[in-house]
Amino acid sequence: MANDLNSPVKMNMSQDAQGKWGMVIDQDLCTGCQACVAACSMENNVPFVGEVDAGYGRNMQWIRIERFWSGSFPDIKMTSYQPVMCQQCHKAPCEPVCPVYASVHSESEDLNLQVYNRCIGTRYCANNCPYQARTFNWRDYQDARQRPELVTLQNHLNPDVTVRRRGVMEKCTFCIQRIRHTEDTAESENREIRDGEVVPACAQACPASAITFGRIDDPTTQVSQAAVTSRAGHLLEDLGTIPHVTYLAGGA
Amino acid sequence: MSDKISRRDFLKLAGVGAATTAVLTGCGPAARLVQREPYTKMPEYTYNGLSTYYATTCRECSAGCGLIARTYQGRAIKVEGNPNNPVNLGKTCARGQATLEGLYNPQRVRGPIKHSRGQSLYGSDNQNVESNMSWDDAIQVVADALSKNQPNEIAFLMGMAPDHLFDLITDLTKAINAPAPIRFGALGMFEARTTLMQAANDLLGQSGLPFFDIGNADLVFSFGANFLETWLSPVAQTRGYSSLRRRNPNQRGYFVQFEARMSQTGAKADEWIPITPGTEGLVALALGSLMVTASGASLPAAYSNVDVNSIANVSGVTLDTLKRLANMFAGSAHPLAISGGAALGQSNGLQTAEAVLTLNALVNNIGKDGGVFLSPLAPLADEYHRPASIREMDDFVAKLQSGSIKVLFVHGVNPLFELPKSIALRDAFKNVPQIVSFATFPDETAVQADYIFPDKHGLESWGYQKVAAGAGSSTLSGAQPVVSGVYTADGAVPQIFYDARATADVLLAAAQKAGGTLASALKFKDELEYIQSQLKGLLGNTDGFFSAAEINTFTAYFQQNGGWWKTSDDRVAPSASNALNKTFNATPAQFVGDGELYFVPFVEPVMAEAGANKPWLQEIPDPTTTVVWNSWVEINPDTAAQLGVDNDDVVLISSDAGSVEASVYKYPAIRPDTIAMPFGQGHTAYGQFAQGRGVNPFDLLSNATNEAGDLAFASMKVSIKKTGKKRQLSRLEGVIGVYENFGQQP
Repeated sequence: MANDLNSPVKMNMSQDAQGKWGMVIDQDLCTGCQACVAACSMENNVPFVGEVDAGYGRNMQWIRIERFWSGSFPDIKMTSYQPVMCQQCHKAPCEPVCPVYASVHSESEDLNLQVYNRCIGTRYCANNCPYQARTFNWRDYQDARQRPELVTLQNHLNPDVTVRRRGVMEKCTFCIQRIRHTEDTAESENREIRDGEVVPACAQACPASAITFGRIDDPTTQVSQAAVTSRAGHLLEDLGTIPHVTYLAGGA
Repeated sequence: MSDKISRRDFLKLAGVGAATTAVLTGCGPAARLVQREPYTKMPEYTYNGLSTYYATTCRECSAGCGLIARTYQGRAIKVEGNPNNPVNLGKTCARGQATLEGLYNPQRVRGPIKHSRGQSLYGSDNQNVESNMSWDDAIQVVADALSKNQPNEIAFLMGMAPDHLFDLITDLTKAINAPAPIRFGALGMFEARTTLMQAANDLLGQSGLPFFDIGNADLVFSFGANFLETWLSPVAQTRGYSSLRRRNPNQRGYFVQFEARMSQTGAKADEWIPITPGTEGLVALALGSLMVTASGASLPAAYSNVDVNSIANVSGVTLDTLKRLANMFAGSAHPLAISGGAALGQSNGLQTAEAVLTLNALVNNIGKDGGVFLSPLAPLADEYHRPASIREMDDFVAKLQSGSIKVLFVHGVNPLFELPKSIALRDAFKNVPQIVSFATFPDETAVQADYIFPDKHGLESWGYQKVAAGAGSSTLSGAQPVVSGVYTADGAVPQIFYDARATADVLLAAAQKAGGTLASALKFKDELEYIQSQLKGLLGNTDGFFSAAEINTFTAYFQQNGGWWKTSDDRVAPSASNALNKTFNATPAQFVGDGELYFVPFVEPVMAEAGANKPWLQEIPDPTTTVVWNSWVEINPDTAAQLGVDNDDVVLISSDAGSVEASVYKYPAIRPDTIAMPFGQGHTAYGQFAQGRGVNPFDLLSNATNEAGDLAFASMKVSIKKTGKKRQLSRLEGVIGVYENFGQQP
């Protein structure tokens, strides 16, 4: 992959990102209801960490909803709710710093992969991620031997997703298990994947339908078309990371 | 299927079926009680590596959203919305997603229990809630209670959902001439359902739950309604909101919220107007009056007593702003005004609801797209049986207190947590000789009961639910078990871990044991037979999305699709001919107590009233403050500075009714004369994730009501005192400084 991370890049989604998958989040529609957070956690076997660790910022959610304040009472506004997950950068800052190639780039899919059984927990990747999208297993949160309450709770673990242990970094995968499942289905039916056929857990739950997912290498898909509207933008665009998540500005 | 088909043949057949992606399964009538087995003992039709999907109904709140549960080798793995159910059209909220944490909750009641009131329910390991009696004995207890007491000495208290169990218990009470079951829930109280219905009845002359068509409006004025959070049918209303913003590509819908404390809903508004609590109705009247005046018409009766200048003074909204908003409302093609939440939880709440409805009538949107309808009645419903108001609950508690009730059955509600302490239910319990709880979880009410006969979790249950709000067409959501139960894998033979039994089955069996009229009135083998007897009323109906002439076929379709609903638009358009004729005696709300601050309790949007036992809901940040796992009190930063308190300082909040301690959260979007607290925490039971965490703002509330009988929950004036203690709140947002002394690790 290209290494020139120092020169700002004014990105153009359709030209710069040749990868397959992209997401568009309409901040005008997002109501901050946290359904995506719950859905993601349920789908991807994300553990809960408890009040103390959560206070230290060790929450494990792969997606979080940011909100900021502007102004002061009575002329105060909350900025539009902003769901943030791994932005699946085309030029991902997390990748070159991993000493063991646990954080690698899928050239074919243009996704950032995290190989759990390579990860040795240096946390360099999390340090380098400008979006704070990575979460680290500070303890064995999923080990029922250490947390007896999990004996029954872990019945709902998703068999399609690995359970991570202590010392391993993790992050949003764009629900790669769902992408693979749909690819397999399409292949067995000898056809291409239809637009909107792959639905990540967050998008499926979202009551406001604020999240759209699909291929960005095909200009006819919903995501490609939404990504070129005047409201579209990317997080920390100046860094030149070329994220695959596009935000549509709220309030307009 | 014939017995001659071998397992191998069956798997081949199953393989053919498995080629289609999502196979929705509904057990045919012959297979209606087929066990879905645990991991260790697979049923034959389970195809390894493939999931089976079942349509059912979410029971986390009473909205009745349809779910598709994904199961895998006998376990429920994930729930998604049912794309066809008119309530939620494939979507879910966070609570719905976390329903699996209820199903697999470590602190479910593990079987029937007899116990001494007030004692801990945990077994020797301090973890499990162990059973100590058999189901046969349990059924005998219920049978005795029903047959050995006089009918008027028997009382049923149920949750908000108008489901098959409510119908069954209604039939049961009718059969023996006992008082009809009472339904109640804290959410219904925060929603002020009684007030909304009363207002509709007063102005439109027709009873029913109002339906606000947000999706087809292009301007929404919301007076305190938290319609994106927990109010009525949040998933459906969020869909409406989405449509409000993006339905018309050329004109984005506009949204103004009037409330003293910015809610999650208010945060999405284009304009947030922080008005004085209790003046919402006055502002609605002022807007209407200004609109009529600007149009040059003569004032209708509704606006004859309105003094716009004094309303501007008392509400804190300037006359210029009022004029601008009135202009905006008058100029919009599809304006809609909604009232709800804290605006109705005031002494003048009914007046507010009526004033807001009047505003709708003024712009002539009653019964029109983008306006106000009445919610359609569900199939099988004779009328909308609303949950009890606080005034009715007060009467009910007085009846318990008087000792005239000998046995109380409680199902689907946790009244000791969901009622203000000022309604002395706990004292009244002392005068009830026998209390039977059907709680799935060891909640506060179960702890004070003599018997706990745990009902199954919603995902293990049969049922239907009449949809009261949110759907535009008449909808009956159907439920079926998606797992047969939770088993342990210890030993060779799997043991059922939670030996719960459907309350309907317990009551039906008890009715047979009790004999007499009860036995002959409820001659049903089991819950499913009762449900089928009700569904028979829909046979041959051709206006639904499916029809069947015969009950077994109908039931099969019903299960497979997750219910039955009409394909028509069934929203009721009432007459608004008299709506502008009611005169208002516009007065600001009366407040209880002489504290210096208004007190606004609100439902924590993610956890709501019963989510605290689910660790994922505890750990999901509150949408506005990002606090997790605890209670807080929201104070304007300026007020905090005056009081000399900072974030995380513990303060004592006192009202006429009581006092609680909570950590301060300096909230920038709240009036300086108002403080707010979330409802949802403060459990003294309810399992390890909930117990001993935070405080319950209900301890600060009196039993004052509005004119319709709903609790005036936002009518307290409280005072705040520094305690000198500090307790750090865990939150998602960044904070500066070194942290220590967070609460307890669960």
